[in-house]
Amino acid sequence: MKPAPFRYQRTTTVDETVAALAGGRARVLAGGQSLVAELCARTTSAEVLVDIAGVTELDHVAVDADVVRIGALRRIAALEDDAELAAALPALVECAGRIAHPAVRNRGTIGGNVAHADPASAVPPVLLAHDGEVVLTGPGGARVLAADAFFTGLRTTACGPDELVTELRFRRPGPRGGAAFHEVSRRARGWGLAGACAVVELDEGGRIAELRIGLLGLAPTAVRAERAEGAAVGRAPEAEAIAALAADAVADLDDIPGDVHASPALRRSLGRVAVRRALAEAVRRAEGS
Amino acid sequence: MTTTTGPTTGHSTAWVGADLPRKEDPALVRGSIAYVDDLRLPGLLHAAVLRSPHAHARIVAIDTTAAKALPGVHAVLTGPESLEVIGPLARFCAEEVVEHAIAVEKVRYFGEAVAVVAAESRYIAEDALALITVEYAPLPVVADAEAGMAEGAALVHENLGSNVVYQHAFTFGDVDAEFAAADRVVRRELRWPRATAAPLETNGAVVRFDAASGRMDVWSNTNLLNFGAWVMSATLGVAPHMLNFHPLSVGGSFGSKHFLAKQIGIAGALAKVTGRPVKFMEDRADNLLASDAQAPDRAHVAELALDADGTFRSLRIKVVDDYGAYFLLAIAGNTNPLSQIVGPYRIGSVTYDVTAVLTNKNQQGVLRGAGSDVTNWVLERLVDAAADELGVDPVELRQRNLIPPDAFPYKIPTGNFYDSGDYPAVLARALELADLDRWRAEQERARAEGRYIGIGVACAQQRSTYYASEFWFHNIGAPAPFTTTAESVRMRIGPTGGITATLFAPFWGNSQETVTAQLIAAELGVDPAEVAIDLAPTMHGLPSAGPGGSRMTVMLSGAVAGASKKLKDKIFEIAAHQLEASLDDLELRDGVVSVQGTDASMSLADIGMAAYWQKASLPDGMESGLEASFTYDPPFFTLPNADRTDLGAFYPIVGHGCHVVVVEVDPETGQVEFLKYVAVHDHGTVVNPRSLEGQVRGGIAQGIGVALYERVAYDAEGRNLTASYDEYLLPGAPDVPRVEVAFLQTPSPWTAHGVKGGGEGGRMIAPPAVTRAVEDALAPFGARIDELPIAMETIVGLCAPS
Amino acid sequence: MDTDFAVVELTVNGIGHRVGVEPRRLLVDVLREDLGLTGTNVGCGQGVCGSCTVLVDGASARSCLMLAVQAHGADVVTVEGMATAAGVHPVQQAFLDAQAQQCGFCTPGFLATTVELLDRNAKPSEAEIRAALAGNTCRCTGYQHIVDAVVRASEAAS
Repeated sequence: MKPAPFRYQRTTTVDETVAALAGGRARVLAGGQSLVAELCARTTSAEVLVDIAGVTELDHVAVDADVVRIGALRRIAALEDDAELAAALPALVECAGRIAHPAVRNRGTIGGNVAHADPASAVPPVLLAHDGEVVLTGPGGARVLAADAFFTGLRTTACGPDELVTELRFRRPGPRGGAAFHEVSRRARGWGLAGACAVVELDEGGRIAELRIGLLGLAPTAVRAERAEGAAVGRAPEAEAIAALAADAVADLDDIPGDVHASPALRRSLGRVAVRRALAEAVRRAEGS
Repeated sequence: MTTTTGPTTGHSTAWVGADLPRKEDPALVRGSIAYVDDLRLPGLLHAAVLRSPHAHARIVAIDTTAAKALPGVHAVLTGPESLEVIGPLARFCAEEVVEHAIAVEKVRYFGEAVAVVAAESRYIAEDALALITVEYAPLPVVADAEAGMAEGAALVHENLGSNVVYQHAFTFGDVDAEFAAADRVVRRELRWPRATAAPLETNGAVVRFDAASGRMDVWSNTNLLNFGAWVMSATLGVAPHMLNFHPLSVGGSFGSKHFLAKQIGIAGALAKVTGRPVKFMEDRADNLLASDAQAPDRAHVAELALDADGTFRSLRIKVVDDYGAYFLLAIAGNTNPLSQIVGPYRIGSVTYDVTAVLTNKNQQGVLRGAGSDVTNWVLERLVDAAADELGVDPVELRQRNLIPPDAFPYKIPTGNFYDSGDYPAVLARALELADLDRWRAEQERARAEGRYIGIGVACAQQRSTYYASEFWFHNIGAPAPFTTTAESVRMRIGPTGGITATLFAPFWGNSQETVTAQLIAAELGVDPAEVAIDLAPTMHGLPSAGPGGSRMTVMLSGAVAGASKKLKDKIFEIAAHQLEASLDDLELRDGVVSVQGTDASMSLADIGMAAYWQKASLPDGMESGLEASFTYDPPFFTLPNADRTDLGAFYPIVGHGCHVVVVEVDPETGQVEFLKYVAVHDHGTVVNPRSLEGQVRGGIAQGIGVALYERVAYDAEGRNLTASYDEYLLPGAPDVPRVEVAFLQTPSPWTAHGVKGGGEGGRMIAPPAVTRAVEDALAPFGARIDELPIAMETIVGLCAPS
Repeated sequence: MDTDFAVVELTVNGIGHRVGVEPRRLLVDVLREDLGLTGTNVGCGQGVCGSCTVLVDGASARSCLMLAVQAHGADVVTVEGMATAAGVHPVQQAFLDAQAQQCGFCTPGFLATTVELLDRNAKPSEAEIRAALAGNTCRCTGYQHIVDAVVRASEAAS
C-alpha cells in the first residue's frame, strides 16, 4: 500500500498556495490523515502535493461575541484542548474528541475534515448546525460560502481545484442557546454510523425559538434536518416533543448510505437516536445557561 | 519428582506455577525483536501481487510488457510462467482440489493472485502492477454454500463435477433410537459467521535461492519449519534436504500462519527467476483478501434430545460449511470438534453430519478453536434453548448434566477421551466469583427502570495437544497418511554449567522461551535466568509441529522432561564416578549434585567442565560432552477404526472452562456494554499463570469479536467487502472488559507435570456466554439469538416500539 | 517550485539525519529501511491499527500516514529511542512489570501512545486510558495487561 509517484512543494503563505494550485494539477496536503491514506490505497492520485503545514496564518482561533473563526490549518487536537473554545462552541469540541484517535487528531486539521467531506466526517454537521460559513481563497481572492452551499455531493464540495479552504466560521449559540453533538458508532469508538449536532435557542418562555440540526452518516453529505427545524419553532422542549422532532429529523431522508456496517434502515434508526440525544443535551445546556 | 530408588532432584523454588517475568519481553518493549519484514539481505528485492477483481473468471490474456519495462523491475510472472519454476501447492486433502500460488487458467475468488512482480522496492513493484493488463471472461459466481449446492450451479473446480467436495454423517451410538425415546427435542437453526485471524503482522517470506548449490533458504513466519516444510519441496522445486527454513519471531498467528506455501511460493518463484533474494510481505489488503486463513462459515440444524427432567440423551448436528475456493486442510475444522462434541455433558450418542461446499471465496484455514469454538457455541445454544423451553434455570440444567469428577478418564461417544476434570467445581467457582445472585437482583432493578441487563453462563471444553489423525480420519477406510505430531528440545549444559536449550518452533506470542526455562529449572534445579534459549533452522532441526492446537506447553513439558532425564543420567554417572558414591545417595538440588549426608558435592559447572575438558575424569567409555535431545510424541493416542465409528483417542488432553458474563444492552442502538466478566479455566497444571491469563484474556477478546463485530463479508458478486481494518472490525480497548480469571487445576494423568494446553480456551468459551448474556438482556422482547455476530440491527429491530 | 526529490533533515532518537527521498516515501519506511529502525511496525498501512505510531515533536503520529517530507525539521522518537544507557524508559518498565505484551508487534505503538497520554494527563482513569488507547489495536492480549501497565506507569511517575 504505497503511493504512486507525485511531485511536492511546500508553501508558507496563502498567496503562495493559491499560486501553486493554479492550473488545477495540485492538491492540498494539510494533515494528510485522509489524503495520505487514500494515496497509499491508490484510491486517489495526485500530480503535485502542496504541503501547507507551514502556512501559519491559517492556524488561528478567534472567539468573538457572536462568531468563532477558525483557520483551516487548526489541528483537531488543538481544538480539543482549547478551554475558551469549549465554552464558546461546546459541540465542536465534543465532536473533535470523537474524531479517530489521538495520533490522527494531532495531525488532522479542521479544514481537512471539512474539505474531505466524507458522509461520516464529524465537523460538517457541526458547521451546518452553527449556521456555518466556509471561506475559500482562490486566484480571484476570498469568497465566503454558507456551509449549506459548500457540501455538494459525496466527498464533493464547492471548493474549486484552484481554491483553498482558509477559514471556517461558526455562529455561537445565544445567551439562551445550547449545542451538543452525538454520534453512534459500531464499537465504543470509530466512524459514526449516524450522528447529529443540534443547536437550539430558547425564547424567554423557555420554548424553542430556533433549532438547527446537522446530520452525518445519513446522506451522501452532511445535511440539515429542515423538517424538524421547522416543526420545532414555538414548542416546549420536553421529552415527548424532543422525541417527535427526532423522528421528524430522519423521516424525509431518502438517500441514506448503506454498507457492511449498517443498512440505510439501521442508520435511520440510529440517526433518530443521535438527534434525540443531541437535542436533549442541547436543551439541557440552554436551560442551564 | 522423587522416586524411591536412584538419585533425586529437588529445588527450593517451585518453578512450575511461578509467574516468572517473560524472557521474551525485554526485546519486545525495546523493539529489538526481529519479524520477517525486518530482515535485510544484500540485494533484496520486493514483491507485490496483482489480484483479481473478479470472484470467478477465466483469465483470457495477461500483458506484462509495460510492467517488465518499468525501471527497477526485475521480473514479472503470471501463473503459467511461474510453473516453470514452482509447482502446485501441496494440500492435505484427498480430493483433487488443485491450487497454485498464482492462478492458472482461472481465478476462483476475489483477490486471487494473477501476476507477481519483483522490484527494487515495494513502491516500484506496486507501480508495475498498475501497468499489467488482464483480460478476464467472467463466470457465474458461486456466492455462498447454498448457491454452491444448487442444481446447475457453476463449478468452482470443473474436475470435481460438483461443489460439494465432502459429505459424511459421523454417527456414534444409536442416535435415532435415543431421539425416538426422548421426551423432548430442542431444535435450533444456528449460523456462525466467517471470521479471520487478522493478526497485526501479516504473512510474509524472504526467500534466497542459490542456483550454484541448489539450496534455498526461507525466512518466513510460517509454522511448518521442522514439521512439514519438506512438504513444500515439490512446490518450490528444491530437494527437501536443500530447503532450510529459519525460525522467526511472529507477530501473532492464531492458526493463520501454519502453512504459507502460497506466500513462500511467490517469493520462491521470484527468487529463482531473478537470482536475488526476494521478500513478499502481505500488506493488510493482501492479508484480508487472500491469506487462506478464513474460518468456519457454517449453517447448522442442531437438535438436543432430552428427558422431561432435563437429562440430555442425544445430539444431532447437521452442518453445511462454506470452505471457499480451495480445500487445503480438508475438513479439519469439522473433525476437530469430534474431540469434544458432547461438551462437558453426559450425552451418550451423537451424529455430526457435515457437508463441505466450495465457493468463490478465499479458502478456510484454521482459526483459534479450529472449529470446536463453533460447536461449543452450538451446543451451549441448545442447552440454553432447552432451559428456556423447559422453563428451568440454565445453570441448574447444566449442573444436572455435567460429567461428574469421578468419571475420568472419560470416553466420549466419538472415541476420544477427556483425561481429567472437575466441571461442577469450575462452575461453582465461576458463579461464586461472579456473585450471580447480586446480578440477578440488579437485572430486575434495571428492568423496572427500562434498562436491559443480561447474564450468560457457558460451560465448555478446550481440547489441547492435537494428534495427526484429525487431518485424515474423515477419509473413511483410508490408511493413515501421517501419524506424527512431535515436539523436540535439545539441551546442552556447557563447560561452566550454563544451559542452552534449542527449540524448533517459531515464537507466536506465546511464551515458549519462558515456559521452557521454567520447565528446565524444575527438572534440573537451576534458576531460569541461567537458561538461554535459541531456535534452530531446519537444516539442524528436530521434529517440531510447533504452536497451534494449544499444544506447546504440554509438548515442551514432555520434551524437556525427556531431554533432562538423559542429561541427569549422565550428570549422576559423572558425579557418582568422581565422588565415589552410589547413585542412590546422590541428590541434584539447586544446581548442585551432592552425596546425601556428606559435604561431597559437584556443581553443574564442575560436571560441565569434566564433561568437556576432563575426559580422564569421566567413567570409562563415556562420550565427552553434555548434551541431549528428546523428541516427545503426544502421550496417549490411538488410531481410529476402519469405519470411523470409533475415532480413537486423538485429542485426549482436555481443558475446560466456565464463563459468566453480565452485559447491559442499549435497545435503541444495539450496543453492548460489559458489566462483569468472570472466566474460570482448568488447564491442569499451569506452568506460568500470568502468561496463561494473558492468553485467556486475549482469547476472550477474540471471542467478543466474533460475537459482536467480526465477519468476513462477501456480496452477491463475490466481492470481499471487509478487506481493511475499517471494515473487518476488531475489538478495541474500550470494547473489551476487565476479565477476572481464575484457574482450577486438575492435572492430566498423562502429561509431564500434569500440564494441559490453554491457548485457545478464551476464544472457545466466550461466544456462547456473550450470546446468552445479550439474549437474556433482551428476554423481555422475546429475543432469540441464532446468528453471530449479533448485529445492531437485530437488537434495534427487536426492541423497536411497534 | 515543486520537486520529485527532496532532502529531508530530521532528528531521530536524538541523532540528526539527512535523507534523500522521493516525496511519496512514507516516514515509516524511511525509519525502518533508510535508518534501520525496525522497531516500528506496519500493521495496516492505513492509519487504523496504530502499530506504526511514533512521537513527532512530542505528539503521537501514524508514521504510515506521514510522508517523510512532512517530517522535515521534526524531532522523532521511536521505540529504539525510549531506553537510555541507564535503562529502559519508565513506561517500558511498566509494560514489562505488567506483562503487557505477547507477540510484541503492537507494543511500540502502544508505548508511544502511552508516553503521550501520560504527558497530557498524569493520572488518567481506566476509562480515559481505554479511550486514549482505542486507536491502538492489539490482537493478542485483550488489553487488560496493557491498561494495567499504563496505570502502573502513572503511579510510578507520582
